[in-house]
Amino acid sequence: MGLFDRKKIDWYFFAMVLLILVFSCLAVYSSTSSSQSLPMRENFNKQLIWIAIGLMLMVLITFVPTRWYRELCYIGYAGLIVSLILLDLIGGSAGSANRWFELGSIKFQPSEFMKPMLVLTLARYLSNDDLDPNRFRTLLTVFGLALLPFALVIKQPDLGTALAFLVVTLPMLYWRGLKPIAIFIIVSPFLTFIASFNFWTFFFSILLISSMLFFSGKSAPVFWSVFFLNILVGILAPQIWSELHPYQQNRILTFLGLVSDPQGAGYQIIQSKVAIGSGGLLGKGFLQGTQTQLRFLPAQHTDFIFSVLAEEWGFVGSLIVLAVFFAFLWRGIGIAAASNDRFGSLSVAGLVTLFAFQVVVNIGMTVGIMPVTGLPLPFISYGGSSMITSLIMAGLIANVSMRRYHYYR
Amino acid sequence: MIDLAPKRLVFSSIVALFFLVLAIKLFQLQIHQRQEYFRHSESNRIRRFVLHPDRGLIFDRNCTILVDNSPAYTLYATPYETLGNDSTMERLSQIIGVDTKVLKAELSKAESPFSAVRIRRNIDYATLVSIEEWKLSLPGVFYEIEPKRIYPSPVRAPHLFGYLGEVARAELKSERYAGLRPGDLVGKAGLERLYDQRLRGHLGYDFVEVDALGREVRDIVMDGEIAQVRGEDLHLSLDVRLQAFAEELFVQKRGGLALVDARNGEILALCSKPDYDLDLFSDGISIEEWRHLITADDKPLYDRMVKSSYPPGSTFKLVLAAAALQDGVISPNSRVHCPGFYRLGSRSFSCWNEAGHGTLDLLGAIRESCNTYFYALSLKVDVDRWAEMARKFRFGQPTGIDIPGEAAGLVPDRVYLDKTYGKGGWTRGQMLNLGIGQGDLLTTPLQMAQFAMILGNRGICHQPHLLRAVYRPAEGDTLWIRPQSESLEGISPETLEVLTEGMVQVVNAEGGTGRASAVPGIEVAGKTGTAQNPHGESHAWFIGFAPYERPQVAICVFVENGGGGGGVAAPIAARILRRYFDLYPRQARQKNE
Repeated sequence: MGLFDRKKIDWYFFAMVLLILVFSCLAVYSSTSSSQSLPMRENFNKQLIWIAIGLMLMVLITFVPTRWYRELCYIGYAGLIVSLILLDLIGGSAGSANRWFELGSIKFQPSEFMKPMLVLTLARYLSNDDLDPNRFRTLLTVFGLALLPFALVIKQPDLGTALAFLVVTLPMLYWRGLKPIAIFIIVSPFLTFIASFNFWTFFFSILLISSMLFFSGKSAPVFWSVFFLNILVGILAPQIWSELHPYQQNRILTFLGLVSDPQGAGYQIIQSKVAIGSGGLLGKGFLQGTQTQLRFLPAQHTDFIFSVLAEEWGFVGSLIVLAVFFAFLWRGIGIAAASNDRFGSLSVAGLVTLFAFQVVVNIGMTVGIMPVTGLPLPFISYGGSSMITSLIMAGLIANVSMRRYHYYR
Repeated sequence: MIDLAPKRLVFSSIVALFFLVLAIKLFQLQIHQRQEYFRHSESNRIRRFVLHPDRGLIFDRNCTILVDNSPAYTLYATPYETLGNDSTMERLSQIIGVDTKVLKAELSKAESPFSAVRIRRNIDYATLVSIEEWKLSLPGVFYEIEPKRIYPSPVRAPHLFGYLGEVARAELKSERYAGLRPGDLVGKAGLERLYDQRLRGHLGYDFVEVDALGREVRDIVMDGEIAQVRGEDLHLSLDVRLQAFAEELFVQKRGGLALVDARNGEILALCSKPDYDLDLFSDGISIEEWRHLITADDKPLYDRMVKSSYPPGSTFKLVLAAAALQDGVISPNSRVHCPGFYRLGSRSFSCWNEAGHGTLDLLGAIRESCNTYFYALSLKVDVDRWAEMARKFRFGQPTGIDIPGEAAGLVPDRVYLDKTYGKGGWTRGQMLNLGIGQGDLLTTPLQMAQFAMILGNRGICHQPHLLRAVYRPAEGDTLWIRPQSESLEGISPETLEVLTEGMVQVVNAEGGTGRASAVPGIEVAGKTGTAQNPHGESHAWFIGFAPYERPQVAICVFVENGGGGGGVAAPIAARILRRYFDLYPRQARQKNE
């Protein structure tokens, strides 16, 4: 058992990461090289620098003993919470959204680093042997840990990242042994929330939830408290809706096809779909995508980078990107399942969930089946914080993978 | 440790399910609907640009340019890129000196956020330089060269040329304005309006590959590209020297003059003063300037020569004389004694010469413009016979000159008088007034010039017109406009001979009222008029033609509230006629004459 046991280095996993990074280089180069502005053209070189830094961090993180993360994650979590509060109090930069700290020329986005940090924190909490995942107190603690950064980040406002904090909780609880019916009870208020805008959908969702609870043999107090909680959500949802940022409401409505907004989010989706659709089977070729090169595609080197790949490399290219991502995630799930260390296993489950969530939401957005949330595509989108966070997360997975046969306790 | 294999399966299945949905959606977009999206992407990148043709020029008869084009810069902004961008809006408002709120309101009116809105026409050079300087911080702001009208000659003639303005939305639907877009400039008045379709030319189309900011990436050749065809040039009968001279003569005066080539009806000069500066319109007239123009006391927008009608005064005595001679009511030798007034029942109608003209025959009455003689004559001629004669001389109807909005004037007849004053409600006193060109009778100064031309031509009328020829660049040929001529029926040569003889005496004989219009070496024939009117001082009239034997030009001089025709209008006629014969020497008599 050595720190540098090369036989156990997960070469397959690293190969996946490097392959995705190649896609990133192709897409970022294509989407920035034709710009008339010099700073935009320089973004490709910057991206290479971020990749280099990220890869070094990934390797470094892979070889640090897993228990270090376990020891340090609570402190890291607290630190990032403090920095998110500071960001909220003193304000940052970049338009109206307070997402970044600026330290000289380097921008630091705490909410990005919060993603893996939350996963590690939850993993440490859940890996306690004495813990019963089906206790109400466990759920309360887990959601409390997630809701704190959620509240701070949604204020920025960054809906996509904030949602990622919530999304990561349930799969990790499930991985730790939470029963499916409990997951259903937890999810039910969200179903009610969505259903509450129409009386009949609301009525049937309450009926469904009640019958599910009844037949699962839950005790009367649980049944009635869940029942009334859902009624309450149904009544309050319209009020909560009116509290949302107008642009968030707009994005959600546009996504649902309830309003057409050719100037805002709707325009981005239209141009993205035109880019992807016009790519056809084999694509228009590298640097030949008209939507990309003539800059009809908005945020094409960041949020809509997948559209660039799909336009220039076609359906075949899109499927290859999807396939490599799936193989990457598949490998991640395998590592989580194979790990003998509960902290490591839970961490990887959470990290894989984060990656999967971001990939599905981002690509879903570019093809028009998900709302425009501003979540970058991991490893591919241009951006320092996103790239480095993704590679740190990959490093954490590789770290667990390397030690999957180790027992720490 | 519990077995994680089932959980791994659930986990993987959920991820696989989501990826499957993505793959299906990608298949739908990239394979199933590929054609549709490809078309979208093609139309996204290929933009059709409208090529604006140069508007046709306007020349005088000697090919001097009267109306020309000059490049001007028009500023545009695309709402999609500018409206939401506060720094762009601020910079733009700072450069052009317009409040951001006003700018935003203008941009919000666009039909689509991607269609450019015209911000300002004819921006000055300093603004242009600022726009170029800040180009990088002004995405979505651009300018285009759009010609404006300039007037390089000394001739102003706004009432003839007219001005351009943005086509009205209601007009866009009509055939006349087919193919134009909102905001395009069209002729709004005068020749610019009447000959708009000739002057406008044909739009061309160019296809260009653009980026998302609408910036041209490269020119591509496609079917449906057409070059623009510049508008047709108008060659007018105006003589820039005579027109400018005429305008000079009327500086600080109200009124105008018409100088017509008696041989074909071509207008050599036609000025109406006061007028306005056409540059105001081509630079984009402000609301204040426009308000000033329409409310000014001296009504500069009013075309006094063509669109306004006035009582013609004594010049119209010729019509009464013609009616009387033609019907044989009198002979040229019929005499009337003028004691300085005419008594009708208990009322006394005064002659302009209160001392009285003594006993006069018809020629003498024309020469000295004796009211008393024509008072007496008016009672001998039936009002309908008189009106008929007036209409034969083309009064009461537009001359047909190529200027839109011409007035017809008014020739009262029995039907009219019955209708206006009731049957029997009008008196013989009104007849006396009509006989000397007063009362309800109204004529335009242009009609009076036409009248002088008909008399000079001894009964032949050429329709007055400004357009001589059109150069058509598309066909590469010149279209000559044929004058429309007609010999008037029902007026005998003898009658006309008496009238013209009287007119010669007006200018050349002792006691003639129009002696101030005489030109050395040229036999001018004319008639003065001093028309009383309820609006103040009398209107001064002079009509005439020259030379007497074979007239080359006919003229009408009109000075609104100017005073006496002989004292005010006749000298002006002399000056323009002298200028004319300096430029166009009198034609030699033919040998057999």
